[in-house]
Amino acid sequence: MIKTFITSFKLKNTYRTNSIIYSIKQFPIIKKILPDSLYKNSGLKIFANIISILSEIIGIFIGKIIYILTMIFMALSWYHTNQADTFIHIFTFLTLAGGVLNTYMLNPTKDKYYAIILMNMNAREYGLSNYYYQLIKLVVGFLPFTILFGMIAGVPLWIQIALPIFVLAVKLIVMNYSIYDFKKTNKASNENLPTKFVWGFVAVCLLLSYGLPAINITINVTVFLVVFIISLILGIYSLIKIHTFTDYRKMYKQILTASNVYMAENNAGTQAMKDISLKQIELDKNYTSNKSGFAYFHDLFVKRHSKILTKAVKKQSVIILIIFTAMIIGIEVNEELKNRTNEILMKYLPYFVFIMYCINRSSSVTQAMFMNCDHSMLTYRIYRTPKVILGIFKERLKTLITINLMPATLIGLGLAVLLYLSGGTDKPLNYMVLFVSIIAMSIFFSVHYLVMYYLLQPYNVNTELRSSTYKTVQGITYLVCWFMIQIQLPTLYFGIATIAFCVVYSLISLYLAYKYATKTFKLRV
Amino acid sequence: MKLVVKNLKKNFGKKEVLKDINFEFEKGKIYGLLGRNGAGKTTFFNCLNEDIEINSGEFYIEDNDTKRKMEAEDVGYVLSTPNVPEFLTGREFLKFFIDINKKRIKEEKTIDEYFDFMKIEKEDRDRLLKDYSHGMKNKMQMLVNIIANPNVLLLDEPLTSFDVVVAEEMKQMLREIKKNHIIIFSTHIMELALDLCDEIVILNKGVLEEIDKSNLNNEQFKNKIIDALKEEG
Ligand SMILES: Nc1ncnc2c1ncn2[C@@H]1O[C@H](COP(=O)(O)OP(=O)(O)OP(=O)(O)O)[C@@H](O)[C@H]1O
Ligand SMILES: [Mg+2]
Repeated sequence: MIKTFITSFKLKNTYRTNSIIYSIKQFPIIKKILPDSLYKNSGLKIFANIISILSEIIGIFIGKIIYILTMIFMALSWYHTNQADTFIHIFTFLTLAGGVLNTYMLNPTKDKYYAIILMNMNAREYGLSNYYYQLIKLVVGFLPFTILFGMIAGVPLWIQIALPIFVLAVKLIVMNYSIYDFKKTNKASNENLPTKFVWGFVAVCLLLSYGLPAINITINVTVFLVVFIISLILGIYSLIKIHTFTDYRKMYKQILTASNVYMAENNAGTQAMKDISLKQIELDKNYTSNKSGFAYFHDLFVKRHSKILTKAVKKQSVIILIIFTAMIIGIEVNEELKNRTNEILMKYLPYFVFIMYCINRSSSVTQAMFMNCDHSMLTYRIYRTPKVILGIFKERLKTLITINLMPATLIGLGLAVLLYLSGGTDKPLNYMVLFVSIIAMSIFFSVHYLVMYYLLQPYNVNTELRSSTYKTVQGITYLVCWFMIQIQLPTLYFGIATIAFCVVYSLISLYLAYKYATKTFKLRV
Repeated sequence: MKLVVKNLKKNFGKKEVLKDINFEFEKGKIYGLLGRNGAGKTTFFNCLNEDIEINSGEFYIEDNDTKRKMEAEDVGYVLSTPNVPEFLTGREFLKFFIDINKKRIKEEKTIDEYFDFMKIEKEDRDRLLKDYSHGMKNKMQMLVNIIANPNVLLLDEPLTSFDVVVAEEMKQMLREIKKNHIIIFSTHIMELALDLCDEIVILNKGVLEEIDKSNLNNEQFKNKIIDALKEEG
């Protein structure tokens, strides 16, 4: 088993290293400087190797510290209960929720797919050895932070040490149950598609972990001790069961289908991604378009993809309406909420950059545009003529902006109404700025994604995402939007600045798209 | 009209796939392009279709002794893997193509006539292309390229996925339209090449050479081709 593990570890390291080198090479400037024989270059290989191993080590800790810090430690200040008990309380219930959501073993990762399906490695040995490795990483990763934050919160030392072991036991119990279930039903569950029951359980756990302390109830050390001992016994029993189970191959064959793996890794490439995109197409027999040429072509694209376009924004709009209605009722009955809302609207407009980022459909729509349309059409020369490229670009721009404006308008109006109802403002211009800046953000994201798609066209013939520049731009977009959450600025100034930025950015990028898209919009090699 | 290729070079990194291609393809002929797996046939087509940048050299159309650039409308390219927009029905795809090629189409037929011609069943015409079979998608790809009536038609192993009846008719059709076109046709099927093509061209070691049939009989000619293909690169 150790041999299998070492082989699999080496395998993982090799393709990680290669993909690191590959990504480095994808930056246009570096591509020119570095020779093509790069894969053989030993200096770079060592460098990539170091990064790969470093990221493995950092990966052990980084997730755990963020988890304990944001999900547990920062939440402590909300409650008036005993800090140590609250810490143990939240940790315990979140562990239960996490236990059913993430077992490691049943997660259809690319690593497992390569090793078990493509390379035909021994499924039991591979599965178990990597499972144990993950569990060790789990305990090692948690321990420093349960000790550190536990100490600050005043948790007794033995519990600081017991907490990671408790997580371990819960994972084992859940895994054992999955195996038991598999033996009984012959159906392996893909943990990335949790059942309604699982979701229900998670919801209850979340409610208990954050809800109970709010009404001054938490578990205490004694309760934890009982829970801990029970889970320890069950955990050991589960470990034996898991270790002696033999039918891993059969189980993995079910879980590790190409599309499962794609969903888990969410990275481009493979036929699976294409398959998923194709599933978005729906045929409504009654609809015919009376346009012609590329307007016709695009019109049908929109109709056939209503699942991710019109229907999706309609759903969003309904949810937005519900939230605003609830908010309006809330501020009518609760004076404190009313004041808070007013304050938020006057200071936290940057937050809405992130919200607008999250609800904008453009990123997934441009992906469908490629997978279901441009991927095949770009091989036709006539489709790459400037007239057609720009013609379709214009149609798409119109659609994306209109589609995204629907929820945006609701949010813009809703915010203005909330501002009015929550006590208003002494500068009436604020209403205007609130509404217009939300609209501007929405247009900005639509333009941004479409122009990036046209200028960088990141995919190749095999539908693999091949552009590091594109990935970087996406990453930066995310980071900037996320960063906005932390900022507080007067709505008036931030709003006006945002509007100005969005207008300027959109104009410039549209100009660039018109100028260069005819050259840049083609399949990558 | 001629398609002239001069000193065309294409590398992928250090690998020289097309080293020095020099050739004149003439109107009215079907050229059979043969080559081992990985010889660079698809790459050659991709270059002519400007899907990829060439490293050096040029290609152009020569019409009555005047040189001109090969424009988008000049080329039709049928890939070996079918490429059709999956969200359209067969009928809509044809309509779109007819729309954007209006100016070039000489004798416009109705869409159903085109379908009849390609032997696509009535009940399939209004289905989404994503539900078409591999061969049916290929037919559609072939059809729209023929409708657009380009001067140069590049066919990358096109007949392989057609059933025998359609393949026969395709061959017949290519013979019919060849007088107005330059047709380059890559295939691994020797019999097809010998039967359909007027000239046999071999891509080997990155260069293109014509195999002269002159006074050989079919069997001798075949052996000569195989010998040429066998030469190690
Ligand atoms: N995008 C690319 N990057 C790097 N190398 C490539 C690329 N495309 C093709 N090649 C290489 O160029 C060579 C020629 O490939 P090509 O697909 O043109 O061959 P082919 O003659 O069409 O082969 P087949 O008969 O198998 O279809 C191969 O060695 C291939 O590995
Ligand atoms: Mg090929």
